[in-house]
Amino acid sequence: MTYWRARSNTLVLLACATLAGAVAARDPAWLDIAIAIVINALVALSVGLTFGQAGILSAAQGSFAAIGAYTTAILTVRLGWSPWLALPVAIALPAGLGHGLARLVTRLAPLAVALATLTLSAIIEIVLRSWDNLTGGYVGLAGIPSVFAGQPIAFYGLAVGMLALAVLAYENLMLSRFGRGLTTIRGDRARAIADGIAVPGLLSAAFALAAAMAGAGGWLYAHYFSYLSPGSLGTELSISVLLMMVVGGARHILGPVAGAVILGVLAQLLPAQEVQGLFYGGALIVILLVARNGLLGLVRREGTL
Amino acid sequence: MLKVTAMAVAAGLFASSASNAQSQAPIKVGAVLSLSGPAAVFGLPERDAIEAVVEEINRTGGVNGRKIELVLHDDKTDPSEAVRGVTQVTRDGVVAIVGPSTGSGILAAGPVAERLRVPLLAPAGTASITDKKNSFYPWVFRVAPSDQTDIHKILADIAKDGKRRIGVFYQEDAYGKVGLDYGQQIAKELGLQIVASVSAAYTATDLTAQATQLREAKPDAVFMQISISALGASFHKAARQVGLDVPLYGNAGLAQKSFLDAMGDSGNGVRVLSIGNLPYEPIDPETKLVTLLKARGKTPQGWGELVGSNGLMAIMAAIKAVKGDLSGPAMRDALETICDFPTYSRGKGCFSKEVHDGWGEDVLVITEVDRGRLKTRP
Amino acid sequence: MGYLAELVVRGVLLGAVYALLALPMSLTFVTVGSIDFALGAYAVLAAAVGSTVGGLAGIAAGLGAALAAAVAMAAIFAGLKRAGVEEPITISLASFGLAVAIGSLILSIWGTRAFMLHSFDDVWVMLGIRISPQSLINFAIGMLLLALVYLLLYRTGLGRMMRAAAINPLGAELSGIPVTTLQTGTFISGGLLGGIAGLLILFSAGLDFTAGLSLTLSCFGAAILLGAHGPIRAFLGGILMGVVEALSSGLASGAVSAIVPLVVIMIVLALGAVGGVRFAGDRP
Repeated sequence: MTYWRARSNTLVLLACATLAGAVAARDPAWLDIAIAIVINALVALSVGLTFGQAGILSAAQGSFAAIGAYTTAILTVRLGWSPWLALPVAIALPAGLGHGLARLVTRLAPLAVALATLTLSAIIEIVLRSWDNLTGGYVGLAGIPSVFAGQPIAFYGLAVGMLALAVLAYENLMLSRFGRGLTTIRGDRARAIADGIAVPGLLSAAFALAAAMAGAGGWLYAHYFSYLSPGSLGTELSISVLLMMVVGGARHILGPVAGAVILGVLAQLLPAQEVQGLFYGGALIVILLVARNGLLGLVRREGTL
Repeated sequence: MLKVTAMAVAAGLFASSASNAQSQAPIKVGAVLSLSGPAAVFGLPERDAIEAVVEEINRTGGVNGRKIELVLHDDKTDPSEAVRGVTQVTRDGVVAIVGPSTGSGILAAGPVAERLRVPLLAPAGTASITDKKNSFYPWVFRVAPSDQTDIHKILADIAKDGKRRIGVFYQEDAYGKVGLDYGQQIAKELGLQIVASVSAAYTATDLTAQATQLREAKPDAVFMQISISALGASFHKAARQVGLDVPLYGNAGLAQKSFLDAMGDSGNGVRVLSIGNLPYEPIDPETKLVTLLKARGKTPQGWGELVGSNGLMAIMAAIKAVKGDLSGPAMRDALETICDFPTYSRGKGCFSKEVHDGWGEDVLVITEVDRGRLKTRP
Repeated sequence: MGYLAELVVRGVLLGAVYALLALPMSLTFVTVGSIDFALGAYAVLAAAVGSTVGGLAGIAAGLGAALAAAVAMAAIFAGLKRAGVEEPITISLASFGLAVAIGSLILSIWGTRAFMLHSFDDVWVMLGIRISPQSLINFAIGMLLLALVYLLLYRTGLGRMMRAAAINPLGAELSGIPVTTLQTGTFISGGLLGGIAGLLILFSAGLDFTAGLSLTLSCFGAAILLGAHGPIRAFLGGILMGVVEALSSGLASGAVSAIVPLVVIMIVLALGAVGGVRFAGDRP
């Protein structure tokens, strides 16, 4: 029991997601939106992990999701693999890339990391859209096999399950000494080194975990929408999830998830696409001015995750 | 005996009242179009025309005695929203859908249309939407000329003028890249040579370097596979500046008022492909559509109206061709049989089991920019 | 003149516009430590308003609009500082929010149309290269503003205060220098210079609603290319960035010409050009 009490975030998530699923199940359009929100939440969680806990702002999580999505799309469409076999690869490949990348970016100032990852995201998008033979270029890949085709509720369950696993992993990480190490690194890196924490290794591991989460989100996207183009996941998603993280609260584990829900629902209620940017930009500014720790930061005590 | 007869009579009455009820109920037609976002510049005119034509049809008694009810959804130039739109309007009971407006929207919505068994009348030029390899091929019908048809028309016009060496300027996206590939294939067939091809991103700040690269290849004409007005106008300016003084041809994406306004008078002589010439030199039956639009207070913008109305008129023709109850699958089968049906555009629309590309070069026109207007070239 | 030489000349002329935006970007970076992501948006806003109003009144209106947007950013900055926030990343995020908001505003008001005006029809031929008078004006204005900013920073009392605030904010504050006011001033100067850049592009290549963030990114690359220390380096960085873009667009196409400028920015960032050795969790 105490195991689960310490991991209350996972339980809260499962409860809320089940409730939401029951409500959304009445209307296929709402179920579709719910699935999209869960996918976004998974990618937003990955930004929350690196920035909220380690202080590294990655604007490339959308690209890791894209890599996961393209990996599974290529394996299932061009090589005929089963989506379930492609899943571990879709998670491992971004994780490996994230691990390698971390060495490059984690020693930079936060602003520089953000810009370097943004630039990297743009470069990855260009590579994905130019490698015609592999990725289908601009036209993308259509006909990706669906998972649980025709049963959106089952897919929703799968997506929530994967999100819950990610949250559980995140909670376990923060409860362990590695999590405490990350918090120390964020606060005072010199102290962390003095404490004997292997800073580069730990940061690389955190980055890899985050990239893996994003890759999982990409896998879900590919097998739900069955169609992938260079613009589907990428720089635009990276920026959206950043916003979700800030709105929900970067330091709290469920913050990015809350942000994904809020922004996902509001996007449906806004009348026109043109004013969406006005709304998002304004929301970002207001949150930064008024509630820097996000909405979850207003609700929960300072210091709790 | 009496019981059987009574039941038979009751059944007969019930059946006829049911079919009467069905014949009174309006026919629902869906339209999933880009009413916001970058593709709205095409989606909004598509919607305006469809609404105008539906109003006219209902005013003159409807189809088979039934009125048409339009169910509209904005796909926000976003493929996942397009999918959502198709799902929603199908749930509302439509028998066919005009849209989505963009190629990627159609590719994303195709599998859903196949699963929900409702035909899509797609107003986009992207080739792959009617690729027979798609499992959803039976459910997608193209109502605009394909990009390949467009490019063939332009290159044929260039060849007609005796030009042989062609430079291509294209935008960094699917439209540009795939257009370049077609251009290369078609140029070979027509005996033309593409001597240089240069691209630019939507957001390029300055195009003089690209124009210079094209100039160095000494082409006789330059073909712009561009749909963004700012890019087209900027390239035109850069070309004049660096001394690339050859005829410029733009694809149909540039047949927009914004492109003409941006070039101003300096643009005179630039040739642009258009689907019909609704805003500047409409001919019969385009003139009838102009009247319908003006009656609703709308000014024709370009060719979006023609493409949208072609989609709707194809649905009308299919409805008339269906024997029995209207349903998605019945409409789909009927669509494969219609040919040379009434539309508001020049040219002939024709579908068959083998051919889901409804329109060809006879709906296209080469126009020339002349003081802010597009003049049809003979 | 050779093809390469022509590309370089075109690159220099293009770079003058980047240099214009790199100036305020480096100023803000040095005095506040963060980036104003909305610089590109100010430029597009000025171009949009300028093209709608037209003529000399349009130029004034465009500059006014850009300044108004920059004042909004300055107010946001002041608000953040008052709330106790000084981390560059947060200020940059706020400016990013403003950039997105302004971009959306432009799209809703003006739609997807192109903003372009024509200034000169004739073309001058200098050393065998055809150059439009507008590009020369752009370059001249860039040089003039560079000279003004240099003089301001190194020859006036105000400039001395700005440099002091940049080197040691706490010490400057204690010496009675109004650090926050100066920092706010750099944001507003961004509006002015951004507006000028936008109007110059309006009369040269033209732009549309998508240009904002990509312009900011290019000018950011320009600002850090030679080290974001001072106005001259920023200006030269802009010129260099223009040349890099012109060469990659003139010699290659497609993916390559899109990637080269980005790779240059990545390399400069990875070499630690931004923020020195101050990483997350570094001691102040």
